[in-house]
Order: sequence, then structure tokens, then C-alpha cells
Amino acid sequence: MLTILLIEDYADNARLVMRTLQPYGYRILHAWDGESGLHMAVSEQPDLILLDLGLPDVEGQTLVGLIRNQPGLESVPLVALTAWPPDTARQMAEAYGCTGYISKPIDPREFPALIAGYIPPLGTTDFAH
Amino acid sequence: MLTELATVETTSKRGEVISPLLDASPPRVVSAADFTFAELVALYNQARTDYIVPMPMNAARLREYVNAYDIDLRASAVAQEDDRPVGLAMLGVRGPRSWITRLGILPTRRRSGAGQLLMEHLLANSQQLGVQVVQLEVIQNNHPAHRMFRKLGFTETRELLVLRRPPGRPESPTQPYTATHLGPEEAAAYLTQRRGFPSWLDETPSLHNAGHLLALRVTLESGAWGWLVYRQTIFQLGSLVLQTEQGDPAEVGQALLHALHTRHPALDTKSENLPAADPHVAALYTLGYIETFRRIEMHLAL
Repeated sequence: MLTILLIEDYADNARLVMRTLQPYGYRILHAWDGESGLHMAVSEQPDLILLDLGLPDVEGQTLVGLIRNQPGLESVPLVALTAWPPDTARQMAEAYGCTGYISKPIDPREFPALIAGYIPPLGTTDFAH
Repeated sequence: MLTELATVETTSKRGEVISPLLDASPPRVVSAADFTFAELVALYNQARTDYIVPMPMNAARLREYVNAYDIDLRASAVAQEDDRPVGLAMLGVRGPRSWITRLGILPTRRRSGAGQLLMEHLLANSQQLGVQVVQLEVIQNNHPAHRMFRKLGFTETRELLVLRRPPGRPESPTQPYTATHLGPEEAAAYLTQRRGFPSWLDETPSLHNAGHLLALRVTLESGAWGWLVYRQTIFQLGSLVLQTEQGDPAEVGQALLHALHTRHPALDTKSENLPAADPHVAALYTLGYIETFRRIEMHLAL
């Protein structure tokens, strides 16, 4: 089973991500802040990290660097979740070593296909909705 | 005391089920000093969940913020409806000036008059404290807040940039220079020679309150020279103050930043509220800084 670590401090967003992705067979881990997210990333070695850039304890951009410096996490797909305008989000994601970004608010109809672009779920899955 | 936060989604930020407000009574204002940091930060985070730049905090970060920016919690305020907090605003005070910050109203309680009530309360508190000028910043394109501040009499003074630079060693400098890295005492000494008008976040008292200050000085072959004071924490550089004493600020600025990032290649950097007209802005872009957003600074004479 593929594991996704979601680092997100807003409960509604976290619930939406989990509800949207779990039917596709992903195992979703959830961290509320940067510190616990970093610990979970190190201990669980997820297949993908979804990271809210606005976190209460450490800024998302700073956290990207901390994650990237951990053994085994240098090249894990790391996708920023942000409400910034697309140009800023793209520039920030590229500069900080994110694999990509997904704009908030998340559209549950498109979200699974976007995630599958980074880690396709195991088995055959229809993303048409 | 804060008991529940109101929201149409019927959940708090952490997901606890709470009741929505129905037919709430008109908002009233109480002192923020009646609340704990945990209560204030919960309210603040929930009020900003739908912002483009939500900037959430935890209680420890809010405590640091209050200390660094001379926030007077007794003069800061929480708006309540039916004894439930629906918004807050904080007031920093430095002599004859005050600074309004962290203003936020729960998304479901906007347009209830709570925002204006909080602002009027903080302006009245400023007057009582002998303040002559009140200042604030609004994120560019936050039109509702901008309109409200104008309606209250605030006028725009300038644009401020929020810039970031990811970790990384800079490329070779365009001009050779010699750099001297200096400690906290020299940083404090340089700040006494500071020119210009920094934003509240970067005023010298803010820097001293936050601590962890270091400095460096560069001299170019042409004789041009300048200094940089900055804040170094475990993961980040910030609070950059660049000053050119002789020569072209773009050239001196490049040398200062090159020296900074050559010494600290592993650290993320954030420069918050640098005036857009600062002569060193071009050097920041050259060294790989990215603009994340802008704020508009506004003043009101009482």
C-alpha cells in the first residue's frame, strides 16, 4: 500500500484530503504541524508528502529544506498545498525543491488524478468523475 | 474566557464539534488580556483560515510575537457575540505611535460590524495612551480590509515587500569584496547608525526584542562599503537591515548578501516588510530572493 503523509493544520482540509484519497487505496498519515510532520516523515518514509505551506510552528518552505536533508527523503515526491496565486506558488515550489504544488481550495473531483500524477495508486483505477 | 469558537462548519480548527451562532446579539469588545495565549491563537488561526496568506501560529509563536513587537494585550481586543469570541485585533505601542496587527474576524461572522468595532476600540485605546500616529499594514488585494481602513481615515504611506530566499550557496560575486563577520555587540552598534524608516516589524526595538542578531561588513575594491545586520535562528535568517555607507547600494547590497549566504548556505531566509523603494531591493532579487506578497502600510494621525 502506498503511504501519503499529509502535513496540514486545518481540520477541514485534512478531512477533505483523507476522504478524497482513501477510496483509491492510499494509506494516509496526518500531522498537524511541522515538528510532528518531520518526525513522521523520518519514521514512516512515506511515498509522497503533501505539505501545507502555512503551518503554525514552522513555515512550510523551511520545513521542505529540513525534510530534504533527512536520509531517505532527499527525493521523495513533496507537493506543496497553497492558496497563493499560481505564479507565486510555482516559483516558490521550484525554488524550495518541491516536486510540485496543488492550489487550494482543493477540488475533490480533480485531486485524485493530480495525486496519481505523482504516485499512481496500485491496481487499475478510474479517475473519471 | 474563550469557551467556543463560532463557525458555520460546526467544527473548530482541530475538529471539535461546536454549535453555530444563530441570531447572535450585536458584537461587543473585551480586552485580549482576559484570554490565554492558547485561546487567542485558536481564535486568530480560525479567523484567517481562508486568507491567501493565512500565517497560522501556535501559542509559543504568538508569545514571541507579543514580546518582539511590544503588543499591549490590555489595549488589544477580542470581539464577542453572545459571549463567544468572533474576532480579535492587537495593538503594539511605542511611545507616541501604535500599530494595529493580527486583525481577524471568523469567516462566518464578517460583515457583522465586529471588525470596525475592534478598530474603533483600538483607536480609542491609542488615544487614551497618548498615541499621536496609528499605523498598520494590509496585504495587497485584501480589498475589504483596505476599504475599511480608508473609511476610518487611514492613508497609504508605501508598499512593503515580503521576500524569501531558499537555502543555497550564491554564485560568484560580480565584484570582489572583503567581508568581516561580526557579533551581537557590533550588530547593536550598527543599528544605532541606522538611517531610513523601517516598518514596525523591522524597527530597532523589534530587532532587539527578538534577539539573535549578528552583523557583517563588506568593502569593495572601489572603496565602497556597507553593513548588514540580521537575525539568525536555528533554521532561518531574517530581519535583514542593509545599509550602504559609501558607493552604489545595488553593488554593496550584492556583496553583503553574497557574504551572508556564503556563510549560511543551508539556511532559509525571509525578509519581511522591506520598503519597496529601498535602494537594496535590486540586490535581493539578484541574489535569488522571491517576492511572496506585498503589504500596504497605512497611517492615521489622531
